[in-house]
Amino acid sequence: MSIKKVAVLGAGVMGSGIAAHVTNAGIPVLLLDIVPEGANDRNTVAAGAVARMLKTEPAAFMHRKNASLVTVGNLEDDLDKLADADWIIEAVIERLDVKRDLYKKVDAVRKPGAVVSSNTSTIPMARLTEDMPEAFRRDFLITHFFNPPRYMRLLELVTAPETNSETAQTVREFCDRMLGKGVVECKDTPGFIGNRIGIYWLQVAVAEAMALGVSVEEADAVVGRPMGIPRTGVFGLLDLVGIDLMPHILKSLDETLSEKDAFREYAGTPPLIEKMIADGYTGRKGKGGFYRLKRDGGKRVKEALDLTSGEYREAQKVTPASVEASKSGGLRALVTHDDNTGRYAWRVLAKTLHYAASLVPEIADDIVAVDEAMKLGYNWKQGPFELIDQLGAAWFADRLKADGMGVPALIERAGDGSFYRVADGRLEFLGVDGKHQALKRAPGVLLLSDIKLAGEPVAKNASASLWDIGDGVLCLEFRSKMNALEPDTMAMIKNAVEIIPGGYKALVIYNEGSNFSVGANIGLALYAANIAAWNDIENMVRLGQEAYRALKHAPFPVVGAPSGMALGGGCEVLLHCDAVEAHAETYMGLVEVGVGLVPGWGGCKELLVRASADPKRPGGPMPPVIKAFETISMATVAKSAVEAKDHLYLRPDDGVVMNRDRVLAAAKDRALKLAENYTPPESVELSLPGPTANAAMKMAVDGFRKLGKATPHDEVVAGALAGVLSGGDTDFTESLSEDAILELERSAFMSLIRHPGTQARMTHMLETGRPLRN
Amino acid sequence: MKDVVIAGYARSPFTFARKGELTKVRPDELAAQVIRGLVERTGVKVEDIEDLLLGCAFPEGEQGLNAARIIGILSEKLPLSVAGVTINRFCGSSMQAIHSAAGAIQMNAGEVFICAGVESMSRVPMMGFNPMPHPGLYESFPAVYMGMGETAENVAEKYQITRKDQEAFAVVSQQRAAKAQQDGRLEGEIVSIEDKGGHVSKDGCIRPETDASTLADLKPAFLENGSVTAGTSSPLTDGASAVLVCSAEYAEKNGLDAMARIRSIAVAGCAPEIMGIGPVGASRKALDRAGIDVAKLDVIELNEAFASQAIACMRDLGLDHDKVNMDGGAIALGHPLGATGARITGKAAQILKREGGRYALSTQCIGGGQGIATVLEAV
Repeated sequence: MSIKKVAVLGAGVMGSGIAAHVTNAGIPVLLLDIVPEGANDRNTVAAGAVARMLKTEPAAFMHRKNASLVTVGNLEDDLDKLADADWIIEAVIERLDVKRDLYKKVDAVRKPGAVVSSNTSTIPMARLTEDMPEAFRRDFLITHFFNPPRYMRLLELVTAPETNSETAQTVREFCDRMLGKGVVECKDTPGFIGNRIGIYWLQVAVAEAMALGVSVEEADAVVGRPMGIPRTGVFGLLDLVGIDLMPHILKSLDETLSEKDAFREYAGTPPLIEKMIADGYTGRKGKGGFYRLKRDGGKRVKEALDLTSGEYREAQKVTPASVEASKSGGLRALVTHDDNTGRYAWRVLAKTLHYAASLVPEIADDIVAVDEAMKLGYNWKQGPFELIDQLGAAWFADRLKADGMGVPALIERAGDGSFYRVADGRLEFLGVDGKHQALKRAPGVLLLSDIKLAGEPVAKNASASLWDIGDGVLCLEFRSKMNALEPDTMAMIKNAVEIIPGGYKALVIYNEGSNFSVGANIGLALYAANIAAWNDIENMVRLGQEAYRALKHAPFPVVGAPSGMALGGGCEVLLHCDAVEAHAETYMGLVEVGVGLVPGWGGCKELLVRASADPKRPGGPMPPVIKAFETISMATVAKSAVEAKDHLYLRPDDGVVMNRDRVLAAAKDRALKLAENYTPPESVELSLPGPTANAAMKMAVDGFRKLGKATPHDEVVAGALAGVLSGGDTDFTESLSEDAILELERSAFMSLIRHPGTQARMTHMLETGRPLRN
Repeated sequence: MKDVVIAGYARSPFTFARKGELTKVRPDELAAQVIRGLVERTGVKVEDIEDLLLGCAFPEGEQGLNAARIIGILSEKLPLSVAGVTINRFCGSSMQAIHSAAGAIQMNAGEVFICAGVESMSRVPMMGFNPMPHPGLYESFPAVYMGMGETAENVAEKYQITRKDQEAFAVVSQQRAAKAQQDGRLEGEIVSIEDKGGHVSKDGCIRPETDASTLADLKPAFLENGSVTAGTSSPLTDGASAVLVCSAEYAEKNGLDAMARIRSIAVAGCAPEIMGIGPVGASRKALDRAGIDVAKLDVIELNEAFASQAIACMRDLGLDHDKVNMDGGAIALGHPLGATGARITGKAAQILKREGGRYALSTQCIGGGQGIATVLEAV
């Protein structure tokens, strides 16, 4: 059985988000919801959900055109259409009677063997299906997505003993490969893994902050970077997900958890939060939450809620001493710091980790599932057992004892050891039997982190490494801060080009940072500009051009394998690869104009080459130039790998890999395929229009200036860009070599970096992380 | 000299470029269907037709390759003996087609002509696919390449047309077009366009709900602190139009419905940066040639490229707004560049006949700094 058509019942936030994500896999989906009383359009709920999703940011669809894969309908007129569906996902209101009633209707029309799953986050599976026939129960499981379904990687999968194992395997494979999810097997217990631990953690963090008199800013500083929830901390996270969600989940957990569960101690909703919800302060979607942005005239002021008075006040920038201590002393220094925030950190961490450790094997077969769930579903940098390892299991056990909290059996079993360890170059974890066992990856999953445990790199410098990933393929890994590209990166590329022909077949460019690369290290360039080291800068540009050109024309195939942001020079290196296998969540862009520059490492050239060769483009010399100009001058960033194809950052036949963990394997496979009978691409010659194109682009920029959409320095930068893309002083009856265009890039880059307007942009970007509009 | 008459008028629905129902219809197909409709409605003997003159502002891509010849054949109505020429005077292209036919008839170079126009602004962008301005001229005389929106701002500035005036004008255009549509006064001229089994038969640009407050919320479309908005500009439009032009004698002999006689014609250049004022010079010349003054006009079709230029022309020429664009203008109906001249001239003839009266004027402004005008007289 394979899944070719999906139906989603319920077009609420979760249902519609799941439907959108199914289309991201290229699978058509039927989306049904109720017919509201007196509605003219009987499909209005589902249709409205699709319309809303086309507007939401971050986008639910990876490409707008995916919306056409959704067929909308309603639960009264269109149930018979479910007969076509291979998988029917129920995501209606969390009411047992409603769900059971719907299952009966579904069972009457579904085709034999069609999978039915529920997205319930709280109702035990046994209760959902207790009065359904056995045939239905064999095809039924729980697939619990996290919000938003496109971006949250966790999928909790719950099966019952009677669930057909083939059915479960089909869904598991589909969710893993097609939807890109990290599928974590959970037992049929309340809140499964993510919410069981996550909600407990949130409750503890809120209650203890109130009890200890820790402010929301302090709490978020402690829980944020040091504990590994960097972007939001705990109160910021509640604002993001919606504070009003909490009571619903709490109520359900309250009804289903045992009387003795440690959760009971923190089960209630604090009165302050009840009042916030009643008054509409539900977080970012409402009037505000623990934080809010208040407009004061033209200014926006960030305010935070005082947990004692319940009043807003201006948000404080805080750096608690415990957090300072943790920078060198790690997690232990944080939780032992002798002040209020240190005590807070200890209580939150101790309670949460204690709770998590006490729940294995009740909620999951092993600790790996728990760590995965918290990382993929709650965006923790590290899972609970990885955090315990950081503290030291024995040390943690002693501290728990000292606090009279009791030590969960699993922690005792770790003894003086750790939950994870490396043995014979392989990662092992502690099983519930107290024995370490190898962590097995699914077939087709290849992780550089595993390879790195097993040995030393083939070559290494401060900015990059080369790893042997087997079968004759080397992997170039960026390793600088934010994977910024530096002279050492270029040196390593040249190194790879020299090494590979002597004993390897191909190169893959890949890393496991949150971002593939944010581009050139502008701090370095600005430093050189400040001391007027123009020759050094020009050499940096030249070095990058040479390295990328060497990659492109090397006698072996090069496959790029990005995930996350691939900006500026990070985008340019991918443009020079023979092929790219991109994670679906790859955000590529030539964004150099944001810092007042033009792409100088062959980005202008490669985009021109691609736009010229694009079979869909209109004829004549101008369209490729216009396309490249629009893309680069607007600093266009693709919001998905699929969208990157629209901008020509990716080629039509570049691969899109939904699952982050499968990107490296896909790239390696691609590289090996290309290595059979490989011939490097020839240099191409381009006919460019010259001064007339320059004038046409200037006209366009003039229009934007007059409309107030381009700033004075935009005009300078766009002018320099036009100079490159037009081909300079050429004519369309002539041909330009790739090298001639590289020279134009270099001279435009050099003239811009001397400009005070560009230097101001670079400084601003380094200081604030945002582009300056000057 | 022979009298020349307009003896038939038809057009496609006008719909928004890139989002309207004609987005995916090729312009050659669109124009061919309109010509087929005109031939069927007028009952003209196709073997008598001398030439198909087709106006198009950006005659390239699907509307390139001497589209007139291709469209004539594609229409499956015209025999191969009917010649074809594509004419470009930007927005004045299909009015120029009428002028050229009238001149030919008076030269005894043919008795009956189809004068058509087409523009798919969805499928061929304004400026074309390959805008290649002369770099030297762009330096020394940039106005020649100036965007149309900016010229509308210049006219507003020079003639002191306030944003409020422009918006009031746009509301009237929308209301008149909506009323005409509602009362069925547009149906008769529209040829339903077949597209992959479906039919497009209704104008798509009209926004009857437009009022002063919806327009007041819009941001300036061309200048940061300007007064011209999308609501006071004609929209990018897809459409085609056609009129039958023949000698009065031929019409009478063949039982064709002569709607109006072409009394005089003119073109005139003006400064490119205020191209919107082009109709003034052209209309004055045409009225002189007809030997009448503005007061004699009963019906006026003045193309609304922008409200600012239409108001400036009305004021300068002393036109009575009640007589101008009685069924709405391009701000409401749309302005498929090459198709507009034949539409407003056919429309002027139609209204003259419908409302009674003696003289009508159709006139429009043209990018680059020109105007074109036609004076019609009741038959």
